[in-house]
Amino acid sequence: MSIQETTAPGNGAAIVAEGLVKEFKNGPRAVDGIDLRVETGEIYGFLGPNGAGKSTAVLMLTTLLPVTEGRAWVGGFDVSRQGAQVRASIGAALQEAALDPNLTAREHMRLQTTLQGVPKTDRRRLGDELIERVGLSDAADRKAGTYSGGMRRRLDLALSLVHGPSILFLDEPTTGLDPQSRSALWEEVARLAREDGTTIFLTTQYLEEADELADRVGIIDDGKIVAEGTPAALKSEIGLPTVEVTPERAEDRARVIEALRGDCEIGDGAVHYGVSGDANTGTVSGRLRATRGLADVVRALDAAGLAVANLSVNAPTLDDVFLAKTGRKLEGAGDQTEDEHGHGHGHEGHSH
Amino acid sequence: MNGVDDRTGQVRPVGRTSAGIGRVSGPARFLQSARILAWRNVHNFFTNPALLLPAILFPLFFFTAFAGGLSRVQHVPGFNYPNGYTTFQFGFVLVQAAAFGGVFAGFSIARDFESGFSRRVMLATPHRSSMILGYSVAAMVRAVVVVTLLFVVGLASGMNVSSGPADLVLIVLLAMAMNMLAVLFASGIAFRFRTIQAGPLMQTPMFMALFLTPVYVPYELLSGWVKTVAGVNPLTKVVEASRYLLAGMTDEVAIAFGLCLVVGLVLFGWSLSGLRNAERSGG
Repeated sequence: MSIQETTAPGNGAAIVAEGLVKEFKNGPRAVDGIDLRVETGEIYGFLGPNGAGKSTAVLMLTTLLPVTEGRAWVGGFDVSRQGAQVRASIGAALQEAALDPNLTAREHMRLQTTLQGVPKTDRRRLGDELIERVGLSDAADRKAGTYSGGMRRRLDLALSLVHGPSILFLDEPTTGLDPQSRSALWEEVARLAREDGTTIFLTTQYLEEADELADRVGIIDDGKIVAEGTPAALKSEIGLPTVEVTPERAEDRARVIEALRGDCEIGDGAVHYGVSGDANTGTVSGRLRATRGLADVVRALDAAGLAVANLSVNAPTLDDVFLAKTGRKLEGAGDQTEDEHGHGHGHEGHSH
Repeated sequence: MNGVDDRTGQVRPVGRTSAGIGRVSGPARFLQSARILAWRNVHNFFTNPALLLPAILFPLFFFTAFAGGLSRVQHVPGFNYPNGYTTFQFGFVLVQAAAFGGVFAGFSIARDFESGFSRRVMLATPHRSSMILGYSVAAMVRAVVVVTLLFVVGLASGMNVSSGPADLVLIVLLAMAMNMLAVLFASGIAFRFRTIQAGPLMQTPMFMALFLTPVYVPYELLSGWVKTVAGVNPLTKVVEASRYLLAGMTDEVAIAFGLCLVVGLVLFGWSLSGLRNAERSGG
């Protein structure tokens, strides 16, 4: 381990950023003073709409874009001063699966392993192993130009692994993929963290992706991190799950309220009758108390001898978190941001 | 998917396996990076008709059009080139083909930046300047193919060559030097603009520089501002040296190579600073 590794702030963390800023010429601050700490072996989800600054942050952390202000360390190395060491520690599959349509998967592997300095004797074996790992063996000799979006992403992921990086940056890896391809990629990413202990920094605009994969999530909007924590903690921050009960007989709603009072925060204005918009259904909804679960609700309704037509528990989503923190829904927020700034991704501009 | 360690027989993850592989470093890594980038560009050139055909057909078209359509120029008083007009034009077309082959390398670089492929390279290799060497070597390989084909067509169409083997080697070297100048110039543009839309910025100045040399008649027969510009245009010496070598003479050859060296050093700085510019802009 080098001196830099031992003296870098946040020793032990895979990625540390302090007041990271990227300001483009004649443009806004694409990244506006973010602080990050990603622990080794963690999957960190960087969630935000288009134009929020996710990709610009990744470009800085991967040394592809110089930092305007602040400092960052990746793998213990300073991204501004030790670019080569940072690049040696990381793998990256950036937003566009940057493949050559004229090369096959095997030829891509040959190129990537050579660029990464893998000895000639190991290149073929390693390439074949990784192609097999991402399930592209049958298409290994087909040109990448004939691949589907999912296949391109999987090849891109395999290429980012040829040098055994301890930290992997995935910039919107599933954007534009069908649900099946997305799910396959999620599995592979999860396996990388679980089996290989790879630290994964994942940017996404998909709530379910962050929810499914990330150990911790940072929500970025307008270049700033507006919330950070585990998905569960973030969701619990804005409220507890909502329980919704529809009795078989609408006239039982008062009894339902009475039965749920111990488990839910109902009454005092927290109860809404007929939330579906039909007051005649007698539907009651309320937030579950912190220590209570669905089983408690069922037991309470059962003890009161109430016949229930419908019972559901709706957990808060990361979209609710985004809404609570920014006042906007995540879906469509990117378009709004672009309209506000008159441009899309900040990194398209010219640097200082 | 896990691999099996040959020594211990234990299952271990692929990613970690490769981490354990000793990695090539230093100048060997630089050369390997350049070589694989050159391989990829040559591979694409020969497997993609859209790249291959124009590179071959354009010089052949120019040669046929110039040498055939303007052959009576050799009867103009003062035209003193000893090997005839076909050979005279071949000397120019050879330099032109080499130069435009170099400009095509600039197009490739711009395309790679546009597609994001260059980011892959910039992330993977610690020696990013190996990109310049890689694209240059590929351009030279392509130029050798085109120049060879031109020679075959030229000789088949009655071109009179008085060169000895050494002269022929010098002709090819001169073409390669011209190719390299064009690569360095065009790559400097490509690194700065990183879009294929900058193609005209690569092509037009090269086109103008080439056509402001004694293209159709010897320098002595030029007049006016064209003669003035051709007199200070370093490419004039390169075109003339090419023609002299085809006639078995070595006049201007040393000057031409010297100029290529000097201009090449300047353009190398231009290309390298362009690469640094691309690095600052995120690739």
